[in-house]
Amino acid sequence: MSATERDEILAALASPAVTAPTRAALLARLDARYERQHFTEAEFDRLRAVAVRLVPHDPAELDLSGLIDHRLQLRQTDGWRFADTPPDGQAYRELLAALPTNFEILAPEAQDATLHDLQRRHPHTFEDLLAELTEGFMAHPLTQYRFGYAGFMDAPGWPQVGPNELEAREIRYGK
Amino acid sequence: MANDLRASLTDLDVLVIGTRAGGAPLLARLASAGLRVAALEAGVRHKPAEMPTDEVAQASLFWMDERLSAGKDPLAFGRNNSGRGVGGSTLHYTAYTPRAQPDDFQLFQEFGEGVDWPLEYADLAPYYDEVEAFLGVSGPADYPWGPPRNQPYPHPALPLNGAALLMERACHELGLRTFPAANAALSRPQQQEGYGLRPACSNRGFCQAGCSTGAKASLDVTYLALAEARGAVIVSGAQVTNLIREGGRVVGAHYRQGDQMLSVRAERVVLAAGAIETPRLLLLGGLASGSGQVGRNFMAHVGVQVWGLMDDDLRPYKGIPGGLISEDTHRVPGLVGGYLLQSLGVMPVTYATQYARGGGAWGAALTEHLSHYNHVAGINVLGECLPYEHNFLELSNELDGRGLPKPRIHFSFGDNERRMSAHAEALMRELWARIGAREVWALPRAAHTLGTARMGHDPVSSVTDPFGRVHDEPGLWICDNSTFPSSLSVNPSLTQMALSLRTADALIGDLVTDWVRVGA
Ligand SMILES: Cc1cc2nc3c(=O)[nH]c(=O)nc-3n(C[C@H](O)[C@H](O)[C@H](O)COP(=O)(O)OP(=O)(O)OC[C@H]3O[C@@H](n4cnc5c(N)ncnc54)[C@H](O)[C@@H]3O)c2cc1C
Ligand code: SF4
Repeated sequence: MSATERDEILAALASPAVTAPTRAALLARLDARYERQHFTEAEFDRLRAVAVRLVPHDPAELDLSGLIDHRLQLRQTDGWRFADTPPDGQAYRELLAALPTNFEILAPEAQDATLHDLQRRHPHTFEDLLAELTEGFMAHPLTQYRFGYAGFMDAPGWPQVGPNELEAREIRYGK
Repeated sequence: MANDLRASLTDLDVLVIGTRAGGAPLLARLASAGLRVAALEAGVRHKPAEMPTDEVAQASLFWMDERLSAGKDPLAFGRNNSGRGVGGSTLHYTAYTPRAQPDDFQLFQEFGEGVDWPLEYADLAPYYDEVEAFLGVSGPADYPWGPPRNQPYPHPALPLNGAALLMERACHELGLRTFPAANAALSRPQQQEGYGLRPACSNRGFCQAGCSTGAKASLDVTYLALAEARGAVIVSGAQVTNLIREGGRVVGAHYRQGDQMLSVRAERVVLAAGAIETPRLLLLGGLASGSGQVGRNFMAHVGVQVWGLMDDDLRPYKGIPGGLISEDTHRVPGLVGGYLLQSLGVMPVTYATQYARGGGAWGAALTEHLSHYNHVAGINVLGECLPYEHNFLELSNELDGRGLPKPRIHFSFGDNERRMSAHAEALMRELWARIGAREVWALPRAAHTLGTARMGHDPVSSVTDPFGRVHDEPGLWICDNSTFPSSLSVNPSLTQMALSLRTADALIGDLVTDWVRVGA
């Protein structure tokens, strides 16, 4: 995250267009980092290698793999799972173990080929992991800034809702 | 405080379990009639002003105890379904509130498939009027589908957002009629007994993550506020683990609050925990087992969505997400029943995770697509789902964090649902193509939880009578989506609230008869 990006995100979050509970949630997420607790070091390294291929991101900016580890450690679920898969933590472990042993050192294109194969062989767990990474990615203030998402600045409401009817703060924010 | 609460939970006439569309209007009706009533609600209170405009931070609005999804079309629960909280899933519903049409209740008569309801549209019509007026539903004058209204919608229709305006244009090009949808969010301020002034909707578009202004008619700011103002007690954070049966009657419930196990008794118990938790509690207690119908006939509406990427800057986070409707596909030649079309605004995380699950794309293709979030518009359908032998809920051997067996829900589309989904997808693809969408993709999907304790006249084939009395379990009533004998091709909440008031009136009648009999 460049210094400009960070400044613009912080300025937007500080503005009166953001409600206090919204600001608190997004500020906490902006710099969230998690200590690995659930996975082994080897598993976690592999998870991270998979994660950057599935949802391209810089782990130094967005700790998407840490977020998954953290959730599993807290034993939280998203409310359901496919009946033919084991509980989330175990399912993810098995998914990672199904990759070739040298996955981390493969070239990116070769990694992607093994991931396509993984998606075919374990469609349900693959889908769950992809969705969880995507959620962490899209919910992050940095992604939202880069995609020009301004929906959190809603305290004054949005009097204009038709196509191309933008408020100044929507035009100004993001790339 | 604890003692006050305990005192208020003695000598109860009626205990209600769950505070959604089945439990809340009934609770208010009974309290208004002067009865001593209380509700146990597993979730906590979510005050509007404390709600962040953020989907992940609002995950606690949803029922997150793990459910197991089986079958050929396994259903997503969690953020895709049931609620948890004072007000249940109305805290996160889109607030689309169309009425069912008269023929929805008589599917078997019309097609020789599905089942008929043991009641008619005319039985519900006065309750529909009452609920719409009380919630403050916004809607158009001259709605063309269904019987003529006795009274106009209490408030004018809400403004249409980008997706709604594009869908309107596309439908008109194809010759389909559209109207602004009935939506239980206010287009004008309204005074609400027990809550105060609810403001007009400010178009902040986050209805599915909770309305932070009180504009949306979730039950906490409407019927539950009224219920408490009229003397009902609502115990939050209280999850029922089992019903109490003594001397052949259901007389109360055991519940867990924090780490305490408590119990409460009442003359009548109303189970209103939703179409998954209600049959789960019945199966756990071996209750209402006479018909063998508990957990059977699980239904979820055909709910395929089609998304288009547009040149226009649409900002899908703005405006009421439930904006435009067409019921011109209410009957489609070759299908049993039909469906309706609704426009979709969408919040970013919901859109992104749906695309990830439904599109199968990952890597740069995924993030590139998501970077165009501001340009997406959606249409979704809501269509009839027939009851089938192969769709049911059972208890699994796996225990959840509370030590209770997780429910396993089997769901597979039948032939009619598959054909309906294909028909709807083709139509929506054509709509978006008409107005020059750049990229169009479809998310096959099913939504809402229905059935599992169906009502009917015959105790052999149904769990409750047409008012919600459980046939073979004196003292116990059911009032939630689980009693739906067929799915109806509309969003369920308005009909459920109407049914709730109707059940309340029957329940009051029963109690009065009892008291007259014992000379109280
Ligand atoms: C995103 C979204 C949008 C929707 N939009 C609409 C819409 O526009 N219009 C519409 O009509 N419908 C809409 N719905 C559907 C509807 O609101 C419900 O989600 C659906 O019908 C399923 O609810 P349910 O029957 O499981 O009940 P729930 O909403 O889950 O209600 C059950 C209540 O009982 C409580 N409970 C459950 N078990 C216990 C227990 N053991 N002890 C104590 N309390 C308990 C729960 O906490 C909850 O409050 C929408 C749903 C979703 C997910
Ligand atoms: S769009 Fe309106 S009803 Fe929906 S959350 Fe916002 S203010 Fe509430």
